[in-house]
Amino acid sequence: MGIVWAAMGVGIIPLAIMRAMKEIAAKPSEENWIFWSIVLVVLMPIIAFSLITFGVFALKGEYEAID
Amino acid sequence: MANNLSASHSEEVTSTRRVIAASSVGTLIEWYDFYIFGSLAKIISEQFFPKDNPTAALLATLATFAAGFVVRPFGALFFGRLGDLIGRKYTFLVTLVIMGGSTFVIGLVPGYQTIGFWAPAIVFLLRLLQGLALGGEYGGAATYVAEHSPDHQRGYWTSFIQTTATFGLFVSLGVILIVRQSLGLEKFNDWGWRVPFLLSIFLVAISVFIRMKMSESPLFAKLKKEGKTSANPLAESFQKKDNLKMVLLALLGATAGQGVVWYTGQFYALSFLQNACNIEFVQSNIIISIALVIGTPFFVVFGALSDKIGRKWIMMVGMLIAVLTYKPIYQAMYDLGSVKKKVEIKEKTTVEHKAEVKGSDSLKTTITKKTFEDGTTYKEVKKEKFPTDPALKAALPKDKLKPDTKKETTLPQDIFYKMIGLVLIQVIYVTMVYGPIAAFLVELFPTRIRYTSMSLPYHIGNGVFGGLVPLISTRLVEATRPAADLPPADPLAGLMYPILIAAVCFVIGSLYISNKPVATDID
Repeated sequence: MGIVWAAMGVGIIPLAIMRAMKEIAAKPSEENWIFWSIVLVVLMPIIAFSLITFGVFALKGEYEAID
Repeated sequence: MANNLSASHSEEVTSTRRVIAASSVGTLIEWYDFYIFGSLAKIISEQFFPKDNPTAALLATLATFAAGFVVRPFGALFFGRLGDLIGRKYTFLVTLVIMGGSTFVIGLVPGYQTIGFWAPAIVFLLRLLQGLALGGEYGGAATYVAEHSPDHQRGYWTSFIQTTATFGLFVSLGVILIVRQSLGLEKFNDWGWRVPFLLSIFLVAISVFIRMKMSESPLFAKLKKEGKTSANPLAESFQKKDNLKMVLLALLGATAGQGVVWYTGQFYALSFLQNACNIEFVQSNIIISIALVIGTPFFVVFGALSDKIGRKWIMMVGMLIAVLTYKPIYQAMYDLGSVKKKVEIKEKTTVEHKAEVKGSDSLKTTITKKTFEDGTTYKEVKKEKFPTDPALKAALPKDKLKPDTKKETTLPQDIFYKMIGLVLIQVIYVTMVYGPIAAFLVELFPTRIRYTSMSLPYHIGNGVFGGLVPLISTRLVEATRPAADLPPADPLAGLMYPILIAAVCFVIGSLYISNKPVATDID
């Protein structure tokens, strides 16, 4: 399953950037900028970093010993 | 001998109760301080942001509200480190003072009309301070109580700390309602909204007084005496693989899902009642408040249950049923609250027109009142302001002529109770995921770096993933609006975000989390 989490983490980066560019290009309003800045600067890096790192740990079997 | 043992046990229980009471009161006040901002979001947007675009002002307020959540992990790092270096007691005393001070000052900041852009800038900064303080508070209080609790009752005792967030929200709603009802709407909107902020200073003073009398956590004091405290808790928490992997597991397998369930069940439910169903302000707040009061004891029920059957599956089941039932619950709320599908009693409908001239502007007000067969009443106040001079009016762009419309639905008693029931179900989910989580987090990390290690995943999960629910969900609903003057096509679109996060968290938590404590030095 580790590969799934890591792939999700990687996949979310282009998805979020493309969506943000599309929406800001369609409506470059202040509210759009605020919203996408929060998503791209705060939420997306946290999700991407944590899923990728978690996925790598899971792939290496780091969580097998916990139970 | 038996008498001595019994006396010593009773002293221990009394002492633990004192610890819990002192910790909980302070944490409750911090949550209260944090949530009055969210509960007063609409008024704050009118007071501190430009009035010419109310949607942008509300979004800017929500962004400021969200900023308070986003900085919480930084507060967790900063104060967590302090807590692991100098001690739990002094650290959460400092956070309490910062929180109370910033809340009090928000109540004193002049509005946008008086100091212009300084107003939102100052409020934004104070909001950041609130977030930092809260980031340091919760981990300290949970760790402090857990380190005083007996091993077999840790879930039970820490669950009292878990009630404080919900109770803090309840108190914030209660104080706002009482102030609003006693002053009247006009005075409340003018200056009365400041009272709940100003009140905070007294609450904090009481709490500081109580906390000053508390002693340091016994586990931390022992560690300090033995010289075994961490020299660099940040490096030990996040640079060592064995601990980092647990931080990530706590975040992705528990706190992120807990955060979205918490904010959907309490905050988004209120926002949904007010914005999607247009339920009248007082009635919607009463619905949430009653559901919170009835639901709060379940934090303790699930906390105690987690001592018997383990923490994991209570949290996972809470997340799973939230994922599966949010859509039908919110659909039912929408069907009960929205007037779209209700049958109108046409002969009871009244329409009142008022026109007045203010300087060079004309103000036209239309008040429409409707009654529906199920007893629901609906009031719509539409205000149109335009220049009296037809040439000037014709020159204005269309969006400047857009009427300001306020819609208010008041539910009859039977639907009001059903609505409480639907919110209560969501509060129960909150208690399932949130009740055992403090004990779960505390048991995941060793004493020397516990404050730092548990605070970060908690505040990223609860603060960032959860705190962004109102902003992201409002935005997802807005995206389904076909045109600016039309209602959103899918009022339930906002649920996609919490459902997705909780679903991923459920899968990760179910697969990887252990049902037994991981840390060995908590006993």
